[in-house]
This record gives sequence, C-alpha cells and structure tokens, in this order.
Amino acid sequence: MSAPAARTWRQCDARVRAQRHFGGDFHWLDLDVPPDFETPEAGQFVQLLLEPPSPVLLPRPMSIAGAVRRARSLTLGFLYAPVGTGTRALAALEPGSRVRVTGPLGRGYPLGRPGTPVLVAGGRGVAPLLMAADALARQRRSAEFVFGARTRSLLVGLDEARTRIVKRGGRLHLATDDGSRGLRGNVVQVLERLAPRLAAPLVIHACGPHAMLSAIARWATAHGAEAWLAMESVMACGTGVCRGCPLPCSAQARERVLAAGAASGAAALRGNPEWAMCCTDGPVFEARDLDWERVE
Amino acid sequence: MSRAREWGRAIPPRRVDLSVRIGSLELRNPVLTASGTFGYGDEYAHVVDLRRLGGIVTKTVTVRPRPGNAPTRIAETAGGMLNSIGLENVGLARFRSEKLPRLAELKATVIASVGGETEDELAELLEALGAEPGVAAFEINFSCPNVAAGGARYWASPSRLEATMRRLRPLSPRPLIAKLSPDVTDIRDTARACEAGGADALTAVNTFVGMSIDLDRMRSRLGRATGGLSGPAIKPLALARCHEAAHAVGIPVIGSGGVAGGRDALEFIAAGAAAVQIGTATFVEPGVAARVVDEMREWLASHGIARVADFRGTFAAPAAQGCAPADARELAEDRP
Ligand SMILES: Cc1cc2nc3c(=O)[nH]c(=O)nc-3n(C[C@H](O)[C@H](O)[C@H](O)COP(=O)(O)OP(=O)(O)OC[C@H]3O[C@@H](n4cnc5c(N)ncnc54)[C@H](O)[C@@H]3O)c2cc1C
Ligand SMILES: Cc1cc2nc3c(=O)[nH]c(=O)nc-3n(C[C@H](O)[C@H](O)[C@H](O)COP(=O)(O)O)c2cc1C
Ligand code: FES
Repeated sequence: MSAPAARTWRQCDARVRAQRHFGGDFHWLDLDVPPDFETPEAGQFVQLLLEPPSPVLLPRPMSIAGAVRRARSLTLGFLYAPVGTGTRALAALEPGSRVRVTGPLGRGYPLGRPGTPVLVAGGRGVAPLLMAADALARQRRSAEFVFGARTRSLLVGLDEARTRIVKRGGRLHLATDDGSRGLRGNVVQVLERLAPRLAAPLVIHACGPHAMLSAIARWATAHGAEAWLAMESVMACGTGVCRGCPLPCSAQARERVLAAGAASGAAALRGNPEWAMCCTDGPVFEARDLDWERVE
Repeated sequence: MSRAREWGRAIPPRRVDLSVRIGSLELRNPVLTASGTFGYGDEYAHVVDLRRLGGIVTKTVTVRPRPGNAPTRIAETAGGMLNSIGLENVGLARFRSEKLPRLAELKATVIASVGGETEDELAELLEALGAEPGVAAFEINFSCPNVAAGGARYWASPSRLEATMRRLRPLSPRPLIAKLSPDVTDIRDTARACEAGGADALTAVNTFVGMSIDLDRMRSRLGRATGGLSGPAIKPLALARCHEAAHAVGIPVIGSGGVAGGRDALEFIAAGAAAVQIGTATFVEPGVAARVVDEMREWLASHGIARVADFRGTFAAPAAQGCAPADARELAEDRP
C-alpha cells in the first residue's frame, strides 16, 4: 500500500512568491500557503484554482515538486509546462497574485519501503521526484536517480536534480532517445544496466509519460522489483467525490477490492473493483494494481 | 429609487428565516448539495459543517453496484463541464450497510438519490430503504444522460413516469422527489406526470446532453460520444426549465443547474423554486454551499425580506415580463 491519502486536505488562499523559467518551455512556481497547511508527501498533488475572472472553470491538478517550511509560511514549488488555457494563465501570474490551493491531495510515494530506492523520471515527470529526492536525503538514504527524455533540452530541471541527488550522495543516470545526453536509449535500458549493481529488492518510484510508466511496470514485474508510479487523469474534484478520474484495475486489485468489500473495511468504502480513482487511490499506484493493457 | 426600497428596509441578517418546506420535509435553509457532486455525504464533512446546509443529496444508488463508464469521464467546456460518469456507485447492499450508518452520525438532513433501469428496480430500492430512519426523503433520478438503460431517454415518457410514481408512492412514508431531465420537448409534461403520480416535489433539472470533439484526433473528448453538461454554462437554461416546471405544478420544485453564488440561488427562488441544489461549483470550491446560504441571507436582509419562503415565485407574480408559462399552459391543455 502506498502512503495513506490525506484526510486533512483543505482549500486556502495562496500567494505567488516567485515564478521563473526553468529551461525549455517549463516554469517553476513558488506559492506561499498558510503555515497550518499539512506538510505534503512526495507524489501528492494540489488543485490550483485561478482567481476570477479565470479563463477556466475547474482547478488544475499539479504535483508538488518542493516544500519549504518558513516561520510564517509553507512554500510549495511546482514545475509545470504551459500547455493549454489554464496553465498558460498560471504562467502569466506575477509575484503577489492570489491563487486558491486545495490540498494536499492523494497518496504519495511510500519512500520508507525496505529495499534500494530508485527514482525514475521522464521529462516533466521529474516534478514529484525532486521532492522524493529531498525526502530520501532527509532520511539519509542515498538514491539512484534515473532521468530520461527524448532529447537533452527536455531533461528539465537537470541542475536541480543534480543538486538534490548528487550533493547528498546519490547518483544521477541520464538517458536520451537521441543520445544527446547520457545513454542513448530509454530509462528502462538504464534500469537494466543498473539493476545487477544494486542490492535487491529495488523499489522504483517513477513519474513520466504513460508509455514510460507502462514499460517500467512490465520491467519491474519481470525482474521482481516493486514499482510505484505516479499517474495522471483528467480531474474535476480531485477528492474522490466526482468519480471522474478512473484508471483500470488489474485482476489482482479487483479481487482485493471485492474481498475488502465483503469484509466491509473502511478502506474499501470507495472501492470499485473495475476502476481506481487517480485522485484518491493514487496518483501513486503500485504497478501491479493497474491493468496496463487498458491504461490509455 | 433604489431596488432595495421596492422590497423594504434592510433588516439584520440574523432575522431572516431561511427555512422552507418540501412536502412534509422541513429544511433549515433552501440550499442542498446535488446528487453525484457531494459523494455519500462524508467526504466533505471535514471542510463543510453539514449542519449549515439545508441538506445533502447522496450519489444516486442503484440495486446492483455500477463500475461506471470507461475514461475519459470529464471534459471542461466554456463555463461548464461535461461528464460521463455512468452512475458509478456501491449498490444498495453497501449503501445500506456502510454509507447510511455513517450518514446517521453526520447530523445532516439526508436525501437519498435512487436510480433504476426499470420500475421494478426503483420499487426494490424503496422497499429496502423506504422506512430507513436516517433518510429524510428520496430523490428519484429519472434523468441520468450517461447510462444506456434507464437513463433520461427512458424516463422521458410522461405516462411511464406517472405509472412509476403511482407504484412508488406507497412504498415509503418519506417525501419522494422526482428529478427531471431538461432534454425533453416540454418539461411541463414530465413535471405534471410526476405530480399526477404522487410526487411530493420535483428537482429541475439534471445535466443537459452535450458533446465535445477533439478535432485533431477526430474523437470525443469523453470516452463516450456524449456527456452531461453542468456548471455556470447551463444556468440560464436550467432557470428557464425550473420556471416552467414550477408554474406547471402545485408541488414544490427544487432548482438545479449552475448555482455558484447566493444571487444564482435567489434567481431560482424568484423563478418559483422552493430550494436549490449546488453541483459542479463544489468541485471548484468545496465550501460553496455554506457560502451560498450566507449570501442569500445577506441579500434578503438588505432587501428587508424576512422569510425566504415569501420570496419564492416573486419574479413571475406582478412582474408583467411576458410570463409565457401561463399562456403556454392553456395551449398545452388544448393539445389533443
Ligand atoms: C495528479 C496530477 C499531477 C500533475 N502534475 C503536473 C506537474 O507537476 N506539472 C505539469 O506540467 N503538469 C502536471 N499535470 C498535468 C496538468 O494538470 C495539465 O497539464 C493541466 O491540467 C492542463 O490544463 P490547461 O488548462 O493548461 O490545459 P487544457 O486547455 O485543459 O488542455 C490542453 C492540453 O492539456 C491536456 N491535459 C489536460 N488535462 C490534463 C491532465 N490532467 N494530464 C495531462 N494532460 C492534460 C489536454 O489533453 C490538452 O491536450 C498533472 C496532472 C495530474 C492529474
Ligand atoms: C460529476 C457529476 C456527477 C453527477 N452524478 C449525478 C447522479 O449520480 N445523480 C443525479 O441525479 N445527478 C447527478 N449529477 C447531476 C447534478 O446532480 C446536477 O443536477 C447537475 O450537475 C446540474 O447542477 P450544477 O450545474 O450545479 O452541477 C451529476 C453531475 C456531475 C457534474
Ligand atoms: S477527480 Fe473527482 S474522483 Fe478523482
């Protein structure tokens, strides 16, 4: 089981502390939330809502990439790409602007699992893993960090990753499809090379495009590794209420939900044997709980 | 002359009586959460004091659990959202054994939403739940646009609605509220049919059938071709349907569609609604329903209106704004 979903999420006002370019088309956003905002775990997300008049109605889910506690605030960092109407409007916000934040939401990475932690990021999927790297460093555990992208310019936040990983005794392994940086190939090929040198069991924590996560899921199953993967889905509520963000359950997860339903445990209250909700059952899922043939 | 003067002198907000009656159901205020947008009631309990709301309408429950539709289930549109959830719910047995005991602890007024593909299924639900002490009333969902069987199309027939209501009415001592689809030729026909069959109240309306196409991939933005449209985009449409329904029947009508603030809610009340439901706005602002209660109270107080019940239907009354429903009713009655 991944970390328990937060039941203490709330909605509050936040202020843009800083906004900067972060290489390529990416932006880094720092938001100050009130100090009583629950400290998020790596892999959790928030829903960001623009102040009216907003060009979009629904809040936009965003992984938390960093969390820094100060005396009178908690600063949350986000790494994002302006891809559409909502994220472009977010990118236009100046320091001091107001944003509404709902969170922290969902279940994060279970970073305390026994085994060798391996963080695997694809492109902007690096966001929650930067925070995971911080958390592991605080636990004084060194991590292997595998970072892949199509080409070198899409290794967003590479310096940031290096600072967080290497300076704390972890190792960074790069891969690009075109060989412009690191290994020519993908992150699974890096895993393949790395695995024999690491103490089993490997506990993989990953985020990136679905195709990459699906390849990691298959690799982990074949090699007896654990894999915890942060998924995405279109969301409305982000809190498990609207039932709008389903991902297909594997046969094994289906059986578990059905068994728990019969036993009537509280954890099974939301259980749907067919679909898991990305926002509350995830966004971090154990690979074997999803049906990768049916993940879109 | 200011608008406020037409109503009267401002009064202190605490003097405003927001209570309303829906059949035998007494609500502390006219603001309800809409089915499918507030879970089974407990999900938001840590951010909203449920006792501040008029009541909560639970997710529609069906006899058997439903897994819901394949993704993608949500798409944002201009000022609204499309959903094709497909009535995902835990089914009657678990609703009864797991959800109702929890709801009982919350001290909220609970309206259970029930849905069925057939009259028999609805009867089974009411036979099982009809006398449950934790349920203050039932809303019968005759209007889900996202299910193949037993959805809005099936329940668009006035004669079927009337016969079904007649069969259901004796099965529970609690008020029965029929929730109507807006996607019918004339909502007054379905409204009157439910009233004739014994409904104690109506909810007008559920989502509107809508569509969104991703031109680049030439496919629907939803997993299905169509979904239900909700949110601010539908408010004027829903308000018109609610107004028509409220003037066609003698039973209370609950307005639903795009309410996101106190003034939206009061527009529905002025149009003849006894109460309102809030859906999509909760996804944007979980605490919106409580804010709407406060804003309604403030507005009524500043206009010197001491009872929200007195405000109901004020738009249609002397306003002489071409009140179509009355004329149209005569036309409807002339029809063969
Ligand atoms: C749990 C979670 C965490 C996320 N974390 C991050 C993050 O750290 N950084 C980041 O840049 N993005 C992240 N996303 C994706 C982000 O939410 C979307 O990019 C955003 O919602 C797009 O909004 P928009 O208004 O700009 O785009 P829209 O105008 O709504 O759409 C523009 C394009 O974005 C695509 N899109 C819309 N919603 C999503 C979505 N949920 N996932 C993927 N693509 C989408 C649409 O298909 C369309 O092609 C996350 C999504 C989820 C569910
Ligand atoms: C995600 C979602 C799920 C819904 N599920 C149900 C449902 O299970 N039963 C029902 O009667 N109405 C359902 N509805 C309709 C709402 O109850 C409400 O009538 C409609 O959304 C219009 O109100 P709004 O504009 O305030 O959202 C759902 C709406 C949404 C957006
Ligand atoms: S976004 Fe509403 S259930 Fe996940």
